[in-house]
Amino acid sequence: MTTILTVCRIELARIFSLKPAFAVLVVASLAYAVFYPQPYRTEALRDVPIAVVDLDGTDSSRELARRVDASADVAVGAVFPDQASATQDVFTRNLYGVLVIPPFFERDLLHHRQSPIALYVDASYFLIYQRLSGGVTSVARTMGAEVETARLVAAGVDPVLAAAAADPMPLTAVPLFNPQGGYATYILPAAFVLILQQTLLIGVGLLGTYRNDELSAEPAASAGPVSVVAGKLLAYLVLEIFIMSFYLIALPYLYNIPRLGAALSILIFALPFALAVSAMGLVLAHLFRDPLTVQLVSAALGIPFLFLAGFSWPTEAIPPFLHAVAILLPSTSAINGMVAVSQMGASIGDVRRPFLTLWALAVAYTAIAILLESRGRQRVVAS
Amino acid sequence: MMAKGRLRPGFILVFRREFDRLARRRLLLFLTTILPLLLMGLLAVVFSAGLATRLPIAVLDLDGTDLSRTIIRTVDATPDTAVASRVSDLAEGRKLILAGQVRGLLMLPRNLERDVYGGRRPEVVFFYNTQAMTSGNLVLRGINSAVPAVAAGIRLSLRTAEGQPLEAAQAALTPIPVQVNPLFNPTLNYAHFLLAALLPSVLQVIIVTTMAYAVGLDVETSHRLSVLRRLGGGLWPAMAGKILPYTLLFLVVLGVSDWVLFGVLDMPLRGNRYLLILAGVLLILADQFIGVLLALLLRPMASAISISTLLMAPAFGFMGIGFPRIGMNAFAYNWGKMIPGTWYLMARIDQTIRGTPLYLSWKPIAVLLFMVLLLAALTALRLEVIRARRQPRPIQPTTVEGAPQ
Repeated sequence: MTTILTVCRIELARIFSLKPAFAVLVVASLAYAVFYPQPYRTEALRDVPIAVVDLDGTDSSRELARRVDASADVAVGAVFPDQASATQDVFTRNLYGVLVIPPFFERDLLHHRQSPIALYVDASYFLIYQRLSGGVTSVARTMGAEVETARLVAAGVDPVLAAAAADPMPLTAVPLFNPQGGYATYILPAAFVLILQQTLLIGVGLLGTYRNDELSAEPAASAGPVSVVAGKLLAYLVLEIFIMSFYLIALPYLYNIPRLGAALSILIFALPFALAVSAMGLVLAHLFRDPLTVQLVSAALGIPFLFLAGFSWPTEAIPPFLHAVAILLPSTSAINGMVAVSQMGASIGDVRRPFLTLWALAVAYTAIAILLESRGRQRVVAS
Repeated sequence: MMAKGRLRPGFILVFRREFDRLARRRLLLFLTTILPLLLMGLLAVVFSAGLATRLPIAVLDLDGTDLSRTIIRTVDATPDTAVASRVSDLAEGRKLILAGQVRGLLMLPRNLERDVYGGRRPEVVFFYNTQAMTSGNLVLRGINSAVPAVAAGIRLSLRTAEGQPLEAAQAALTPIPVQVNPLFNPTLNYAHFLLAALLPSVLQVIIVTTMAYAVGLDVETSHRLSVLRRLGGGLWPAMAGKILPYTLLFLVVLGVSDWVLFGVLDMPLRGNRYLLILAGVLLILADQFIGVLLALLLRPMASAISISTLLMAPAFGFMGIGFPRIGMNAFAYNWGKMIPGTWYLMARIDQTIRGTPLYLSWKPIAVLLFMVLLLAALTALRLEVIRARRQPRPIQPTTVEGAPQ
């Protein structure tokens, strides 16, 4: 037990004295906390500019354009006489769509005919496409329902029944957990988990590949492989208590991300995650042996890991065999479980599958780390 | 490579030395070629199934009539949603959502059919999980097309029952229909879109970090730098011979992956492919110079690699592929402007899915070219400063314009 604590003390001291490790584990963690969320701080895409080509030029067409401009999603950025000149501005990314109100728009409405309008949307960016088509369609639907109700009332139908005939079965969509549909609320809780994994993985990899003279000197030299691995894991756990609390509890609060989770459940769920990542880092350190390799290989892995987790790209769309392999990464279970616990207020029981998976990974990677540690020692003794 | 005999020092010598080194240093070769191609293959498999379809939702049917069953059938028939389970109360549905087994819960209230035909406008409620935005929006789209479709049928039958002719009744349903025409991306396949944008983003991180490493190997100590200079017969040819082998390698990697994307997976390539290649060359050069500059400015090499990782790894978010740049705050918008990948992806989207006419395509390419020239000038300046420091002869720098410190 004392040897475990000795190893732990040595490792903790190294975290702060070994410059590259400190840079990754502490400095990078703090820098990412400020830097990474910046693109998403505004939460939502609002007032996407489009062009209006009003070929009708009547009260009704102007009213439609005004309502489109007034909606939260869309803004009328320019008015053009024809569609060709508007399309040019879409190519240069000044505008993202063109709303064409055809001639006789008002006359057709007054004659109780369908009066279609056409929307050309830049579909090369999906959030923009979604905003614009949704925004304009809902304005047209509201205006259409008013027209329809007015017609029915004019025909002598009771106003209440007229409203029912226009919309007999209203659909109410209630977004859960991310009520504003905010982008930061969606991406950051998942990204934070990934940042935690990557910094810890690289940090542990660096600590394991740089020379460690103190560990081979007394009094730590007598420690067996089990004690060495346990001591190191304990040291990383002590560090991560602070860093993970900061990332998973303080940061969402500072960035005003709506959240339902209890701090205790978050920390309980974080425990096997921290252990699994640390142990995996020890294994990687044995495999890579060189600190620069650790850094260079890990640098490129962040983006693929996020998409493998089945969060920003739904699990249902990932081929099953790949998903099975992705389970070997702690981030895959941790992102989904942690988001459920911290954002959706799930209890540990609700997320027992990812929770138990993380424990299994922690045990497996620790066992491999112990094995590699003891083999490494035999080699040292033999040579 | 010293055994090569009496080769004249110069660009060629350094160029060949670099390829020799790649053959010997497995790590360098792995990082520059195999790793990006492996990651590319991995991402291609992740997105191979295309857009997610038939996402599971739960249904709470408190009505149990023909109408509610019709709604459930219609919802199950949309490409986006599949009715995976029936629940008996809201709590059960909540549990399923929390466990991630379903993406939403459709609640059909008691007496739905009776109230609909009685004109009492009962509400159908759909609870959906927006915490996972992609799947949340997909299930919402499915419900949004299914439920109004059933409602339209009811409206139609209400009117025809009152003696309206069918055509007039249909016209009255939606007085102002919107014809939404997607420009540029008619299949709306965002799996392809994401995949085509992700590879350059991953490659960008790799280019900057490996250049910091490869150049760092030769400039970490002043002794190694002077070796490099002697081999190259001057700092500039030496640096050119150092950089160019990697430019070629990364071009091959980008070429292979683009061949897979556009040749094998048949993604749309609707613009000018020479412009696409030109933009690719400029992206690689710009990113290489960032790595070189960091290696020249920061010692030891480990810090240069750390800083390049710190700068480039989060770049994807700033390039506006997921969340568009027009929605970002001022800092993020301007930071994104300084990343070569932002401009490259614009050029890439222009020349692949948008089919932008030639005369409107030059802006992102011009910006990339400017970046390459600026970064090359800064690198040259830095090399001159290093040389001035290494030669403590009392020649005052006459041509070097006030080197910034």
